[in-house]
Amino acid sequence: MTSRQFLVIVAIAQGVLLLALITLIMLNRWVRVRRSAKVDPRRIELDAVMQRWVLGQADAGTVADALGLLPMTFIIDALVTWSARVPGERWRELSGRLEHRWWGRVMRGNSRSARWWKRLDCARFLAVAATSHDTGRLLRLLRDTHPAVQLAAATTLERLDSPLLVAAALDQLPQLGPTVQAYYASVLKRSRPAVLRHLMQLFRRLDDPRLPRIIEFAGRLNEPVLREPFTTLATHLDAEVRTQVARALGKFPHRESVAALSYLAHDDAWPVRAQAVRSLGMIADPTTLSAVRDGLRDAEWWVRLRAGLALTRFGPPGRAVLLAAEVGADPAARDMAALILGLSSQALAEYAA
Amino acid sequence: MNTLIHTTDVVVLTYFLALNTFYALLLVLAIPEIWEQTRLAEDEDFQRLMQSDALPPITILVPAYNESATIETSVTAILTLEYRNFEIVVVNDGSKDDTMERLRQAFELYEVPRTYAETIPTQPLRAVYRSRTRTRLLVIDKENGGKADSLNAAINASRFPLVIAVDADTLIEPDALLRLTRPFLLGARIAAVGGTVRVANSCVVKDGRVTDARVPRRFIPGIQVVEYLRAFLFGRLGWNRLGGSLVISGAFGLFRKDYLHAIGGYSISSIVEDLDLVVRLHRHLQRNKIRYEILFIPDPVAWTEVPESGRILSRQRERWHRGLIAAMWQYKGMLGNPRYGRVGLIAMPFFAFGEMLAPVVEVLGYGITILGLAYGAIDASFALLFLLVAWGYGMLLSIWAVVLDEVSFRRYGRLGDIVRLLLYAMLETFGYRQRTVWWRLKAFAGVWKRRQVWGEMVRKGFATPS
Repeated sequence: MTSRQFLVIVAIAQGVLLLALITLIMLNRWVRVRRSAKVDPRRIELDAVMQRWVLGQADAGTVADALGLLPMTFIIDALVTWSARVPGERWRELSGRLEHRWWGRVMRGNSRSARWWKRLDCARFLAVAATSHDTGRLLRLLRDTHPAVQLAAATTLERLDSPLLVAAALDQLPQLGPTVQAYYASVLKRSRPAVLRHLMQLFRRLDDPRLPRIIEFAGRLNEPVLREPFTTLATHLDAEVRTQVARALGKFPHRESVAALSYLAHDDAWPVRAQAVRSLGMIADPTTLSAVRDGLRDAEWWVRLRAGLALTRFGPPGRAVLLAAEVGADPAARDMAALILGLSSQALAEYAA
Repeated sequence: MNTLIHTTDVVVLTYFLALNTFYALLLVLAIPEIWEQTRLAEDEDFQRLMQSDALPPITILVPAYNESATIETSVTAILTLEYRNFEIVVVNDGSKDDTMERLRQAFELYEVPRTYAETIPTQPLRAVYRSRTRTRLLVIDKENGGKADSLNAAINASRFPLVIAVDADTLIEPDALLRLTRPFLLGARIAAVGGTVRVANSCVVKDGRVTDARVPRRFIPGIQVVEYLRAFLFGRLGWNRLGGSLVISGAFGLFRKDYLHAIGGYSISSIVEDLDLVVRLHRHLQRNKIRYEILFIPDPVAWTEVPESGRILSRQRERWHRGLIAAMWQYKGMLGNPRYGRVGLIAMPFFAFGEMLAPVVEVLGYGITILGLAYGAIDASFALLFLLVAWGYGMLLSIWAVVLDEVSFRRYGRLGDIVRLLLYAMLETFGYRQRTVWWRLKAFAGVWKRRQVWGEMVRKGFATPS
């Protein structure tokens, strides 16, 4: 083949491809219009059936029938939308009905699919329609390699009370980013007793590298039962653990928390000190005023800032400390006090947040 | 002479073949990537997660220099974004117009003391302001130091772990921040994420929001719609699968602040600060053996006003190319260096040979074709056929980008807009492309003369629906 012939073939191929792409654009538009014309009335019908079911004028079987007329992705979307509006007991009744529908079985079968988006569909479906028979599937999905699947599966914990699933979710926690951890904390609220039991076990593993993340998560739960283990961990060797402990203890205005935080306010690591003075400010116990005042003279700027902000939460005594520091001998404390006293109440509120 | 023509011809043809094969590869890689991203974008659980309190707080950095026409609209639009926890740091970079006055009046600013350490050195600050009406807003007035310097000042003032740099002339879609944080929720190793930038000219803008996306009827902005689609929807998506792009748009990119601190923030000596930043970020993370990902995701969208005249466009393109040349020269140690992984072995060589040298080789190709025809070394019909194939390929890539948009996000609802897009994709090759080649060639001369000035962008503003 000569180069000319080759170019002619390429030019023809390009022409064909060009036409194919333009046809694809037009065809895509046409298919979408046709599809929405077909599916939209069924969605409207489903909404009406759901409405009747919620009012007790239709049974769950009718809802399942109406759902079966929709494509799979629309079924999931409809279930996710309606699950938030229907009380738990009634929703469980519907979930039970869906278990035996052929499309429900197909959806569950996707939990073993090689394609992540099919597993995601399955996890999303189970998040709103799981029954106690789905524990095995959900365990697998919670440990899925794709984070989107894990997240969708974790949402199930809002509806399904299972110690097994809670333990699996908690084991995943240290590997997750802080944002996802915060999300897990919100979905695990329902299973609080199981969560607390498992956390107590995890706290005993003192050399576990995942400990800081577990404490961070536990701190989000605001659970008084956890105060004692937090206090115990205040002397842990890892500074990251101590930082998380200092953060968590700020939410527990208790004599032992105050003692632990006062101890941490003199820690060698500055992030621990900064967090400790911040938490002392949150508790605002008058006996800790001197510890926070010491923070204002700290060598680290961030500790001084945190101490200054913490002092504003002590009311008039804290302000008096700041005013004294503003004309005091320590230049670093003087600068920080001047800065804090110059802040508007709005700015202070923003810092507190 | 004939031997010279023949040798050059072979070099140009080989370059053409290699470059276009690589583009084809990017195109193929963009398909699964857009499929995956579209699936994730439609996931309602994510949307729920994104509306929860679990979202990471974000600082939006807005550098402003002579942005009087758009600053109020832009900042108002940013303040009403759908995101739970964010703050905005606007930096007035010593504007010569009334940008600062407009900000002061529009948001009832009052002066506050500086409450943060200057981690990255910047030009002196004149004052720091907070707003009486918008608690999330912080405004810094400083001496002029350029965009990079302003961004560094904003990074210093930021309180949150993720920062996003947004141009003051950019309109961010309400849910764009929510979408942009998605990779941070899915991956623990994300260093930066970029979103799509689209052309706002001719779009209907109401209250700082693009309410009706339109393709401009005017040729120059219209053709840039196709260029942006091509650059974002298949160029950068394809790079996701090849180890990460070297470019996260300066107009719309989310970064981990600790990494920005580690590399000393934006470089004030670079004229294309976004490219420079991402290259340095790659270099730092690779050198320190930190596992990371720098991703582009297509569904978060920001709209920007593009030049409407050839004169301004030429300055912009020349500057971009000058920045590319400067960056490639400055970081030449990374080129082909296995120490920098796929960035050193794939991205850097592509940007150096495929992007930076492209106009030189294209002009060489045109020149050698003319010479060859004059000396009878090249057959006229063959040269014409070759030109047809080369141009046809460029056209196909552009149309492919239109197809990707159409099957995924469908921003342009009207058939007339799609027809216009296709038309621009076909016409781009004739005249416009050659002009951009010329502008980019001029950049080499600019680098030679060590010019570092920014072209001045004349803004019309978004306030009036067009």
